[in-house]
Amino acid sequence: MNILGLAIGLASLGLVGFGFFWVVRLEYHLGWTWWPFVVLSGIILIIISLFIAPPAVSALVGALGASVLWGATELRNQAIRVELGWYPANPSGKRKPPFERLIRTMKAPDL
Amino acid sequence: MAMETAGLAAAAATFLSVWLGHVAVRFLEYRVARLWMARALFGVAGAACVAASLACSCPNGSVEFGIFGLVFLFDILELGRQEGRVREGRARANPDNPRHRPVFASGKALSADLFDREPAPPAYRRGASRSGGGEGS
Repeated sequence: MNILGLAIGLASLGLVGFGFFWVVRLEYHLGWTWWPFVVLSGIILIIISLFIAPPAVSALVGALGASVLWGATELRNQAIRVELGWYPANPSGKRKPPFERLIRTMKAPDL
Repeated sequence: MAMETAGLAAAAATFLSVWLGHVAVRFLEYRVARLWMARALFGVAGAACVAASLACSCPNGSVEFGIFGLVFLFDILELGRQEGRVREGRARANPDNPRHRPVFASGKALSADLFDREPAPPAYRRGASRSGGGEGS
């Protein structure tokens, strides 16, 4: 019996669950317009996983990268949840991302 | 230099399973009158994937089946949570679904997708771009 898949599956579920936590915090402090940087972080993590030798560690880093990518698609939905009053808004405002004007011309990912 | 593809396999399986699960849960909760049928579907698919993961000797195959299996099994719970969102008026109710009739009767039914739009641009802190500024509370 090969339990590697089950172990990585459990870890993957945990990482996606943790994603809901950090998406809420990131949207609160930085705002949804930071999504391209989150996408980039996810892609970098997946590329790093290609160069890690033990399959289990590589799979964990890959799953982390995918959960970060998923979080990037959730940022805009979280901003809408805040607008609907389901989550608190940050009264002190958000931090403007680099290349903000360029980012505003792009459609935020939504699945 | 040889590359380890288990990470890529895990990333693809994680992203695709969460995406597929997310879309399938919303679709099935909206359409299916007997929710236990949708739960059974996820249960069978999840159990089959977990069994395949345990039986698979190839690490990449085991990882992919394992992730898909556990996400499908988790979607059994997610169906109930989606039903709760419909009841609270946070997700769309289906007028043709007899299971949603009490939601319409209670006046809480939502007929539009609240997330089918771009959010408003955020209000930025003055002078907070890149150079820093207070973190705020």
